[in-house]
Amino acid sequence: MQMNDTIVHVQDLCKFFRTFKRREGVLGAVKDLFVREQRLVKAVDHVSFDIARGEMVGYIGPNGAGKSTTIKMLTGILVPTEGEVQVNNFVPHRDRKHYTRSIGVVFGQRTQLWWDIAVIESFKLLRRIYDVSERDFDARMALFNDILRLNDFLHTPVRKLSLGERMRCDLAASLLHNPPLLFLDEPTIGLDVVAKESIREFLKTINPEFQTTILLTTHDLADIEELCRRIMIIDQGKILFDGSLEEIKRRLGKINQITLYLKDRSEQAKIAALNASLALLAQTLSAGAAKQMSANGLHLEQIDDLKCRIVYDRRLIPTEEILRQIVNSLEVRDILIEEESIEEIVKKIYTEGREAFVGERA
Amino acid sequence: MKRHFLLFIHYFAQYSKVRMAYKGDFFIALGTSFTATLLGFGFVLVLFSKIPNLKGWSFNELLFLYGFSLIPLGFFNMLSLNLYQFGEVYIIQGKFDRILLRPIHSLFQVLFEAFRLESLQETITGILVMAYCSHRMHLEWGTIDVLLAVVMIALGAIIYLATFLILTSVSFFFEDKVGVVPPVYNMLAFGRYPLSIYNVFIQFLLSWIIPFAFASFYPSVRLLHRSEYGGFYVLLPAVALFFSGLALVLWQLGERNYSSTGT
Repeated sequence: MQMNDTIVHVQDLCKFFRTFKRREGVLGAVKDLFVREQRLVKAVDHVSFDIARGEMVGYIGPNGAGKSTTIKMLTGILVPTEGEVQVNNFVPHRDRKHYTRSIGVVFGQRTQLWWDIAVIESFKLLRRIYDVSERDFDARMALFNDILRLNDFLHTPVRKLSLGERMRCDLAASLLHNPPLLFLDEPTIGLDVVAKESIREFLKTINPEFQTTILLTTHDLADIEELCRRIMIIDQGKILFDGSLEEIKRRLGKINQITLYLKDRSEQAKIAALNASLALLAQTLSAGAAKQMSANGLHLEQIDDLKCRIVYDRRLIPTEEILRQIVNSLEVRDILIEEESIEEIVKKIYTEGREAFVGERA
Repeated sequence: MKRHFLLFIHYFAQYSKVRMAYKGDFFIALGTSFTATLLGFGFVLVLFSKIPNLKGWSFNELLFLYGFSLIPLGFFNMLSLNLYQFGEVYIIQGKFDRILLRPIHSLFQVLFEAFRLESLQETITGILVMAYCSHRMHLEWGTIDVLLAVVMIALGAIIYLATFLILTSVSFFFEDKVGVVPPVYNMLAFGRYPLSIYNVFIQFLLSWIIPFAFASFYPSVRLLHRSEYGGFYVLLPAVALFFSGLALVLWQLGERNYSSTGT
């Protein structure tokens, strides 16, 4: 039963490239003509995952982590060095001509549309390429117009479209043949807030409506937060994390931040007292976990006359305790409690790699 | 087959629209192409104002050969645009990725994504010149001759295409720009003159290595009913088949290499 629902199956997938080091300068270039130094790059290194039908999965990682290489193997452009890929019951690179009918692909950095002529001409030719009937074509175009408002520029040459308009067209083009699976490689790259929003809205609509499974890579974590229940993080060719956004926040989001808005300037004098009592609190509570307690386990900072900020490790000090100290020490107009943003957490994973998961909360 | 034929029509229409988006550019290209063809003829005229006959070839026969050679060449040139820039555009810039994502054979897409429309001018000029020369020489055209000419023109275009496909496939294996296409492209000019005027080495080269003689010289000899190398034209189907077979195999190997190295 569960097997039937799996649309993408990847097992120990590897892609190794042999690259040549290029030496510097003219002499180096001449040397390169004769002997070239080889280097083996493990772009994707034993990656395994399954994606169920209808899932929307975010695939993230720093530049050069192996995202695009994975996508290229999943779409059949690249042949894996090792491992198993099965998508829509196809081995992508082996039966490319049939397989490509069952997927849609958008590379944010490149367009698949004919650059010099009106957008509609590209759609018409794609209809022929994918053998879409005129009725289906009209129905789908009507739907796309509804959500993506393509009508405004269907008769404009692609080269004259803004990046946002072009991306909307590319998305529509990739879905003309109603593929059950959609791959998006950085679909929001370089777009403004409004354009991003319209792309996200579109994906949010088609995903439930057509049960379209979507795998997207992005550098904008807001895409993930809005769209994906599941994220996979890859770095240096290896999957570091595969789970829900909540899970990653729960496991790695240690730092909370409380911003205090003081009632009036006279309260400023009491900040020092609050700081002292918080320090005492931190000391008692973290006594048992002295090793983990770092200097920034708790930190209070005055921003301006009426505002100060407390940053603390919530694994060690319960928010409730801090709030109690605050209310006891001074009078406030407002309190804002924030958990660590997903950007901060992901930044930590990118910079620390596997280390980020060492010493996490159980 | 029918699907591919229809798709060819649609690809052709699509590219025509692209060209029509830049009308000025199209007419300039047409003008340039036509001027180049005229200059080629001008050269033959100048040549023959000095020498009345070349290794037993009269002026009319020579012009006929030149005219005939332009017909398959024009058809080939219509398709040669993407072959000429294949390494640069498809491999280095990575446009080939997109080719692999569509449910049509990759070669079909590469050949038919762009047409040098202005090269049809060469074919038309070629036919006119050939007709004019046949008229001046009172050449007899039986039904067989006409049919034979059509078949030989088609096979000639295929030979040109196959030869350049073989060279283009090299781009799959070498990331660096490889400059083998332009020199061979220049060798096309050799086909405009009687093979007999060249030395043995070049004759061999043009027949069996880069078989341009089979696309222009041998067919012309047959149509002019000349005796030298008289029977060679019967080998045309075999040569065309061999070279296009080789081209397809190399293309296939190249494509496999591309998707396993991922340039």
